Amino acid sequence: MSRLKTTAAAAALIAGLGLGHAQAETVRFWYHFDNPENPMSGLVEKFEKANPDITVEADNVPWNSYYDNLYTAIIGGNAPDAAMVKLFAQPRLVEMGALEPIGDRIDAWDGKEELLDNLLSINAGPDGSQYYLPIQYVVLYLYYRADLFEEAGLQPPKTCEEFREAAKKLTEGDRYGFGFRGGKGGWDQWGSFVLSRGAKLEPGGLTTPEAIEANQWLIDMFQEDKSIPPSAPNDGFQEIIGAFKSGKTAMTIHHIGSSKDLVAALGDKVSAVPVPKCDGNAWTSYGDESLAIFSASENKDAAWKWISFLAEPENNVAFVKATGQMPVTKTGSETYDGHPKRFVEATVNSLPFAHVLPQTSATADFVNTEWQIAMQQALTGQITAEAMMEKLQGLFAD
Amino acid sequence: MSSINDALALEAPRRRKRSRRSGLLPYALLTPAVVVVLIIVFAPMVEALVTSFYEYVLFRPNAAKFVGLDNFVTLFNDPVFWTSLWQTALWIGLTVPLQMGLGLVAALLLNKEFAWRGIARALVIIPWALPSVVIALMWRWIYDPNIGILNDLLLRLDIIRAAIPWLADPDVALYAIIATLTWQGFPFFAVMILAGLQGIPKSQYEAASIDGASAWRQFRHITLPGIAPILATAGLLRTIWVANSIDVIFVMTGGGPGYSTYTLPLFAFVKARQNLDFGYGSAIAVTFTVILGAIVAVYIARTMREVER
Repeated sequence: MSRLKTTAAAAALIAGLGLGHAQAETVRFWYHFDNPENPMSGLVEKFEKANPDITVEADNVPWNSYYDNLYTAIIGGNAPDAAMVKLFAQPRLVEMGALEPIGDRIDAWDGKEELLDNLLSINAGPDGSQYYLPIQYVVLYLYYRADLFEEAGLQPPKTCEEFREAAKKLTEGDRYGFGFRGGKGGWDQWGSFVLSRGAKLEPGGLTTPEAIEANQWLIDMFQEDKSIPPSAPNDGFQEIIGAFKSGKTAMTIHHIGSSKDLVAALGDKVSAVPVPKCDGNAWTSYGDESLAIFSASENKDAAWKWISFLAEPENNVAFVKATGQMPVTKTGSETYDGHPKRFVEATVNSLPFAHVLPQTSATADFVNTEWQIAMQQALTGQITAEAMMEKLQGLFAD
Repeated sequence: MSSINDALALEAPRRRKRSRRSGLLPYALLTPAVVVVLIIVFAPMVEALVTSFYEYVLFRPNAAKFVGLDNFVTLFNDPVFWTSLWQTALWIGLTVPLQMGLGLVAALLLNKEFAWRGIARALVIIPWALPSVVIALMWRWIYDPNIGILNDLLLRLDIIRAAIPWLADPDVALYAIIATLTWQGFPFFAVMILAGLQGIPKSQYEAASIDGASAWRQFRHITLPGIAPILATAGLLRTIWVANSIDVIFVMTGGGPGYSTYTLPLFAFVKARQNLDFGYGSAIAVTFTVILGAIVAVYIARTMREVER
């Protein structure tokens, strides 16, 4: 591996010798946008006009292998100067020594006052330093079919009991009450029903009787109530949104990022509320996205100029309008009109109980592979709800 | 006499020199190819072998340490390894014969005279020409229980009562993917076999029919021996390709539900690329290479001898 690093470094050096003098500073930037409507080139153009001595090379790296590529590039000595990053990756990146602390730069920056309260403390590194500059956020909430609820004489659920009853009542023919994401990335839906009831991603935190019971409760919705589609164990983002759009499910949990798509398909028939409270306690996932500079970068000043440019109110709004998420600046939030009001309200009302997972290295494995495997096995009856929790506990043993 | 001997003595070294030079020529010509193979194929293989003896987790590059055979011991005690191994056997054992069978039927049909044969021959290649990821996404939607066409058709034809979650049912998922890969891979066999069929002289069939051989006997004693070398070679290639292919599985189920569609290469990929445990991932890859190498060696020894006879 070190050989690879040397080779990459040598290649970079040769390239640097050849081009270094002739060209301005170049910032290599990685990001991921699913949306075909990509404002990045416009933002880059605007930035380069204001900073003629800096060139930005922005690469849209596919989301499915974003972190695989990022880690490999860092180890291979070919990391970008700056990139879009999520919180769950921060402990690993810090452990690798790959991140550049930017606390001082943020303190000296005019835009700091503009950032929404609390965002910087949510984004603080595991060692107390600040490595992440927030760029956008979302909060998961419950999408429901207002028309079907009205037909059935139901109110949007406030508690988990109401939620389960509603899901049962709305299951009819080939329609199911709740589109549960049992495949990759579904841990945040699971969290609303299990982490809300006291389960914790820490030693001994998943195998308590309450935690196991909560997990059983959710699995029962699939196995006993059958109010979750049989396809759930393999359903990812595309499937839950596809099923909701086509009317195969009456509720699902996702964030404001999919609202445009859903409104285009369902119009006023789709609405949203915060996720229900289980035993008086609600838990939902705070979906973060930040920007970071890598410690190996040779153009840190230029990289900082670029990422702080993206976090300024006007540019930030352009950025989040393309991703369909929420702006991180105060000015941007006040004037933001990128989404229908009911979805913005559901997001804002969910903020008080929005959480991030604990920042440990085990969390990354939990999110990337282990939760999905264990959940699928439990849903399909290969293991029990208790065995699933024990298996996951194994990750958070030390 | 002596002058002749002298002449021979003079001649000998020159001849030897020439033969040495001509002996070196093939090696000189092969060198570039060998060097490239050594660098591109062999060096990474050695690197993987070395890595498999280390505890090497990508995000802890400084904590890498030599652990000898520990990774392999852990692997052989890992139930996921045995599940994956069995599923890899099913994966290869079903996919390749199914592709070959379907390819053979398609080739025999395409070898008949009929209108638009040229177009049919061009169309049959389409599944093979499409990128695997496109095929995987396409079939993922075909299999989708809520909005997929397969369930819809079966429901309309009253063959099933309720939609089947093809990719979410652990007992069905692997077979559903095998069906997809069979569809993708059969044109390769069809085209190869078709080429072989056209190489069989017509006179043999004429002679056989004059002797009163039935269609089946003609197939059994003329067609099959005629295409046997092609079946053997194409079968070998496909076995290796199918064994190593993970893209379709990865896109369709990612190995799930649970471990139901894990094969060994996928297991290695998930461990190395997603969990960033390169030591363990390399151990899986090395083990699989040894197993596949052994199977291929036996296959070559058996089949090729048979064909040459």
